[in-house]
Amino acid sequence: MSAGTVQPNFTEVFSNYEFNPQFLDEVFNDKDNVNGHYRKVLDHFAQMSAQDFKELNDHAKLSFFNQGVTFAVYSDKAKGVERIFPYDLFPRIIPADEWARLEEGLIQRNLAINHFIHDIYNKKQILRDGRVPAELIFSSKNYTKAMLGIKPVGRIYNHISGTDLIKHSDGQYYVLEDNVRVPSGISYVLANREAMKRTLFSLFRKFKVRTVQDYSQQLLATMQSVAPEGAETPTCVLLTPGLYNSAYFEHAFLAMDMGIHLVEGRDLFVDKNFLFMKTIYGPRRVDVVYRRLDDDFLDPLMFNPDSVLGVAGLMAAYREGNVTLLNAPGTGAADDKAVYSYVPDMIKYYLNEEPILNNVHTYRCEIDSDYKYVMEHMAELVIKPVDESGGYGILVGSKATQEQISSFKDVIRQNRRKYIAQPIMALTRHPTFIENENQFEPRHIDLRTYTLLGKDKQFVLKGGLSRVALTKGSLIVNSSQGGGSKDTWVLAE
Amino acid sequence: MGRYIERSEHLARYTKVQYASSMDSPLAQSKEFALESILSLGGMYQSYLGKYLELTEDDVIHYVTIDDSNAFSVQANIGYMRENARGARDRISSELWEAINVFYHDINSYSAARLQYEGMHHFSHKVEVNSAVIKGYIDNTLIRNEAWILISLGIHLERAIQVALIMLNKVYDIAKLDAANLGGPVESYQWAIMLKSAESFDMYKRYYLKKKSSHSELDFLLFNKNFPKSLTYNLRKVQQNIQKIAFHDQKGSDSIEFKAGKIASQFQYLTIGEVEESIAGFLNETVANLNNLAAILEQKYLCY
Repeated sequence: MSAGTVQPNFTEVFSNYEFNPQFLDEVFNDKDNVNGHYRKVLDHFAQMSAQDFKELNDHAKLSFFNQGVTFAVYSDKAKGVERIFPYDLFPRIIPADEWARLEEGLIQRNLAINHFIHDIYNKKQILRDGRVPAELIFSSKNYTKAMLGIKPVGRIYNHISGTDLIKHSDGQYYVLEDNVRVPSGISYVLANREAMKRTLFSLFRKFKVRTVQDYSQQLLATMQSVAPEGAETPTCVLLTPGLYNSAYFEHAFLAMDMGIHLVEGRDLFVDKNFLFMKTIYGPRRVDVVYRRLDDDFLDPLMFNPDSVLGVAGLMAAYREGNVTLLNAPGTGAADDKAVYSYVPDMIKYYLNEEPILNNVHTYRCEIDSDYKYVMEHMAELVIKPVDESGGYGILVGSKATQEQISSFKDVIRQNRRKYIAQPIMALTRHPTFIENENQFEPRHIDLRTYTLLGKDKQFVLKGGLSRVALTKGSLIVNSSQGGGSKDTWVLAE
Repeated sequence: MGRYIERSEHLARYTKVQYASSMDSPLAQSKEFALESILSLGGMYQSYLGKYLELTEDDVIHYVTIDDSNAFSVQANIGYMRENARGARDRISSELWEAINVFYHDINSYSAARLQYEGMHHFSHKVEVNSAVIKGYIDNTLIRNEAWILISLGIHLERAIQVALIMLNKVYDIAKLDAANLGGPVESYQWAIMLKSAESFDMYKRYYLKKKSSHSELDFLLFNKNFPKSLTYNLRKVQQNIQKIAFHDQKGSDSIEFKAGKIASQFQYLTIGEVEESIAGFLNETVANLNNLAAILEQKYLCY
């Protein structure tokens, strides 16, 4: 890191802070050295008592609660209990030069993935050339035959990509996974920034932080750029599964922020292969749909026939080019964790460039030699199912008991295609305010980034969601697994 | 959403005014009398008796305001309002949403102990103030499109229903008085409660000054064209709102536009002299007509 280091000024909330050379700490190089770009934060915090932090923390929580950035926890009581997604006061800071490189890498990577999706539903050149094994793609449960031969506007498939990055103990960023189906979490990024401004504005104003507020407008511009031809002022809508979906807040928020209609499947219908929205003034044609619905539920005529969330005939209208869907159906074939290992090859194949972002070495249990290695080294590896998300079904070898490991071996043996293994990455740690202890403690973090691809248009959100594994020592940051998050500042200079 | 906010506000205010009146009345008015009246406004008398054996102050107040088992409590109505707002989150302003959300969480977390400690007056005041704030945001931060029209329609329709119900309640209460008390201070005290429950007492006094006639209280709340709590005022608003969002292909005598116009016009050309003899019957019929209108509205615009 370029910014140099300075002596930290420790106060009571840092007095028990644990330094462990095994992991890279984003703020402290060691007990006596703090990374330069964090100096002003620590100086600011040095003027505050533990009580001040407690009050600020409560204030920040109230900001989320009042804005309704909550998820419901269902209990047997008639009244729903609502919780906020835990938010940490200590911002994560990414220096300008470090970010510039990431941004370049993210666009490169997602463009290559876009080429790949186009290819596997059309000429399948990369499979013919043997650069990616064909059976890997055709065996993916997310490979969607209904997409064969469809050419979406601008040839864009993964309009919205959520790429998860981590920083390893070697100081390098690695891509942990690609999410090109329906990545979520952006509303937390925006709410985190809002909470930061409501609670720690005095600190925030000391930095030149690049804005995240433009995301909604960029997303809208992306939607408009891929509207079917002939739609002068395209009608864009956001399709939600409804009020009881756990991400409903985000759907409503994004629709509100973009100024477009939030619709459910029952608000839409297809007539002669055109999509319409029911309004009290009569039907109104819809050109672009940002759908927050899984492929399976999109169209009961094409996918799950029991779906009441989707719109009958939507895929036919899509095939005719009369409506654009974001993201395109079938993109899941590209964010399968086994396909992940081929993304660097895709970058070379389609773009003729060297990959900017690192991949984590991935063992595919399907391959005999990899399988053998995984079976022999399970204690040093993380084993993941290729097609799940949310941190479900993962085994962290170093944290598992002998019984867990041997029973997991059986699970893998039964379906080798479904599992991959990666070395355990030493995610960086970041000081995080722990409520019950009333002090800062190191916790592991990652970074979910957001990349938008439109017709002749690319955008990367300047920042992202720094997710925190709140459980001491845990490496799993997903919100469904007890994670929290931090406001993420990309510095302007 | 408009209907729920208006309903919770009136229920809370009526409970407060009734309850306070039972503690401070010219002739000892029995507490049971006031409590029964409170329960009957929300149509909860029967369900209350299904849970409790007798009318006690604490039980009635708890039941009407925050009892989980009462689907029509003030708290439940505020919950429905917030759920409506959540469903329309993309159509309303952030300021309005946050006001509703903060209010909802405050009321939703109200405990029996807090209610006991702070008292009914405090609770009702909180509901009234927040209702005013929320309606302020509705009026000042929303564009006048169909979302606003539906909210505004709900507010005026529900206000007409609630004011009619309060009047009906008081007409029945007065009918229960001993003949000796009729025409005296006890009766006029009941009329004053009616006006206060509809936030109309002060304007009523100013409007009539000395020219009070018999049943001028009813006249004021039924037929005053310039007072925003009167039935005729609100029905006119309901009619105007419906005209703005009417289905253009539906104009016949079955259409919602026709039905709303019929009720509003009826009020425009009626006088208190024509209805005072059979006031209870008239109010009952009005409430039935309004409920019918509400049911058609719901079916036409909200169920699909």
